[in-house]
Amino acid sequence: MANYKDYMLFEKLPHTWCAGCGHGIILQAIADAFAMQGLDKHDIALVSGIGCFGRVDDYLDINCMHVTHGRALPAATGIALANPELHVLVTMGDGDGATIGGNHLIHCARRNINLTAVIANNYNYGQTGGQYSGTTPAGSITATSPYGHVEPGFDICKLAEAAGAPFVARTTPYNPMQIRNLIKRGMQTRGFALIEVMDTCPTHYGRLNKFGDAGPMLEKLNNMTVPVEKASSMSGEELEGRIVTGVLTDRPREDYYTRYKRIIDRLSTEKGSVPSA
Amino acid sequence: MRGEKRFIEGNIAIVEGAIAAGARFYAGYPISPSSEIAEYSARLLPRVGGLYIQMEDEISSMAALLGASVAGKKAYTATSGPGVSLMQENLGLGIMSEIPAVIIDVQRSGPSTGAATKPAQGDLMQARWGAHGDHSIIALSPASVQECFDLTVCAFNLAEKYRTPVYLLADETIGHLRETVTIRELEPDEIVSRKQPAEDVGPEDFRPYRYDGIMPEAMPPFGSDRYLSRTTGSTHDEKGEFRPVPENIHRVTHYLTDKIEKNAEDICMTKGWYLDDAETAFITWGCATRSALGAMEQLRARGEKVGMLQLQTVWPMPEKEIRSVLSSVKTVVVPELNLGQAAGEIRKFNDYGCKVVQANRVDGILISPEQIIRVWKEAEQHGEL
Amino acid sequence: MKMQIVLSGVGGQGLVSTGEMIGEAASIHENVYATLAASYGSETRGTFTKSEVIVSDEPISYPNVDEPDIILCLAQVAYDRYIDTFHDKTMVFYDTELVRPSESARGVHVGYPFKQMGIEMGNAAVANTIALGVIAKRTNILKRSSLEASVSEYFAAKPKVIGINLQALNAGFSLD
Repeated sequence: MANYKDYMLFEKLPHTWCAGCGHGIILQAIADAFAMQGLDKHDIALVSGIGCFGRVDDYLDINCMHVTHGRALPAATGIALANPELHVLVTMGDGDGATIGGNHLIHCARRNINLTAVIANNYNYGQTGGQYSGTTPAGSITATSPYGHVEPGFDICKLAEAAGAPFVARTTPYNPMQIRNLIKRGMQTRGFALIEVMDTCPTHYGRLNKFGDAGPMLEKLNNMTVPVEKASSMSGEELEGRIVTGVLTDRPREDYYTRYKRIIDRLSTEKGSVPSA
Repeated sequence: MRGEKRFIEGNIAIVEGAIAAGARFYAGYPISPSSEIAEYSARLLPRVGGLYIQMEDEISSMAALLGASVAGKKAYTATSGPGVSLMQENLGLGIMSEIPAVIIDVQRSGPSTGAATKPAQGDLMQARWGAHGDHSIIALSPASVQECFDLTVCAFNLAEKYRTPVYLLADETIGHLRETVTIRELEPDEIVSRKQPAEDVGPEDFRPYRYDGIMPEAMPPFGSDRYLSRTTGSTHDEKGEFRPVPENIHRVTHYLTDKIEKNAEDICMTKGWYLDDAETAFITWGCATRSALGAMEQLRARGEKVGMLQLQTVWPMPEKEIRSVLSSVKTVVVPELNLGQAAGEIRKFNDYGCKVVQANRVDGILISPEQIIRVWKEAEQHGEL
Repeated sequence: MKMQIVLSGVGGQGLVSTGEMIGEAASIHENVYATLAASYGSETRGTFTKSEVIVSDEPISYPNVDEPDIILCLAQVAYDRYIDTFHDKTMVFYDTELVRPSESARGVHVGYPFKQMGIEMGNAAVANTIALGVIAKRTNILKRSSLEASVSEYFAAKPKVIGINLQALNAGFSLD
């Protein structure tokens, strides 16, 4: 049986993240999701962007491509199409995945590229000092919304679902088993899968909004969650301010490569290879 | 060698060159005057088992190219100046991560939207410096439809050999010019394949980067069953691990520049005409080469000792060849569809008191042989240094 | 031998296609050099357009045509634009129903109602091919067999229109 340790670079620890940050929990869950599937490391490609969570590749002993801010999904698109045998995992934060990279997120979901996106959403740009992102809730205090944030935040899962993602799920670091199970299910979905992990940033977002230390912050986060099964019988008012967790969307549809490959196969059987310009 | 004579436009010949060189992945965003490259790639690539994908913008196109390249495909995109502006972010990533890719810039009039369908050669400096931080770049520029094919092949070869993004700086004139061209299948030794680790390099010993010389390390693809690999746009060490310490930043920055500048002799390609007895030389690149050839033919017919040097490689600048011309002729005329971007570079090498004059045209029309002759005449009479 | 040809009119008249057929006939079937520089714009229908073709037995340097040896004008706007470039020996082919030639213009004028002839043949779109036949016959720039081959190849993907284009080419060749 494979162990999560098989996929980790222990000599790189301790990791760079702050005490109480949920990223380390997600890191272990990712490694464990690989182990649960018994994946050969050579068959995994991880693409990460820029931000605290973009550093996740530093600690994993697999193929890693660390790219520019917001561009992990399009880079992963290239990998997934160039080698459809690879298991492609993309790790991003809310800034990377849903703000600067928001356009790529919806198009990647629409195209249904065969990859699994893990977005650690901690409501702010942690690495650069806690400025607001595209998911920061209205009213929040951040380094760049000192008087209260005037914009509403994106619901990343709804965004991905509306764009056509076949598998969308949400969880929190309070529930590490759920994280690894959802990542595993996402990876086993042929097509675009998104797992949003509502995360804690006690150093910036939590501190500025007086959520207390890591423990109480995680507790608060957990208290806000509602399993999707239970949420289905709750009214919109009751769900206000709550975080719905679990598998939100599971509707397989053919991925980009499968559809494109059909064209390649059809053309290979046609006579005359070169069309005139 | 099987060759097929065809009458096609430069943009189409570029696609033929890419496919012949082994390219099997295209990601791009359509833009005039390069769109025929996207359209023809979309038709041709799946026929050879390759993939075409139209991305949501040029930023993602460049990212997808690099991803596909890391996974082992030879990858290319085509765009024009406004698209290059967006690609610069991940061009820098490609340079730092040392990922081969080919970017075809079919230049048009600018800045901004400019005159979108008119030719220009205004992207020379954008290609050279369009990415932050110190770096060097390789750029080739075709002046004929045949060169669109031939230099595209060279661009892929150089990208693989030096593990770096390479520009093909075409322009609207050449991209849309149709002329006689020989499209051929390449012999295996004409194609540079990506270097793989030597047999005796075990998985534990393999390092994806090296900084002890001026040639890059081997690059096994993601998905290799023997090696794990790692690429990053962060300053890294041989293992591809983040290492932002002064001595490492220093050596990586020097290496990235040296691997191109110190290999300039291998990278630089030029063509010369009548340089043995020339008293005046036109130094040209891209479409203006055609006008200069016309001017040279007219002047030679009148007995004037005019020669020409065409820069097929524009970055790095073929310094040796340019110096050889500057030191042997009295006057150099540099015709360009810009306000003197190559001329300024040529002057940097002018330690010989040669008279270097510019013939510039920026109205969206190909410079004419007559204009070049006019500039030459003025220079002969009372031109300034 | 170097022939500079301008094919001019308005977008949608198939002038780029005509240029391609000349270029293919020259470069592939007669083993000489040819270039075609077509005007590109965002408007493709109804506004002035030109294709500049050069056929030569030597490599072609500058691909633009400033003073044509042969010009085809399928619209008044095109004729007016080029009239000042005509020499005494310029062969000026024009559509008699679309272009009113200037009495003071230089050059050898050859006019036929190409578009009307195309309509009578069943397709106005072959006017340019009729004109190509006339040009080839009057100027001897290319052999009939080369043009027949390039017309057939050009429309290889649309076999239905090969016939009518060959018919149009031959109609052009049969005009006096």
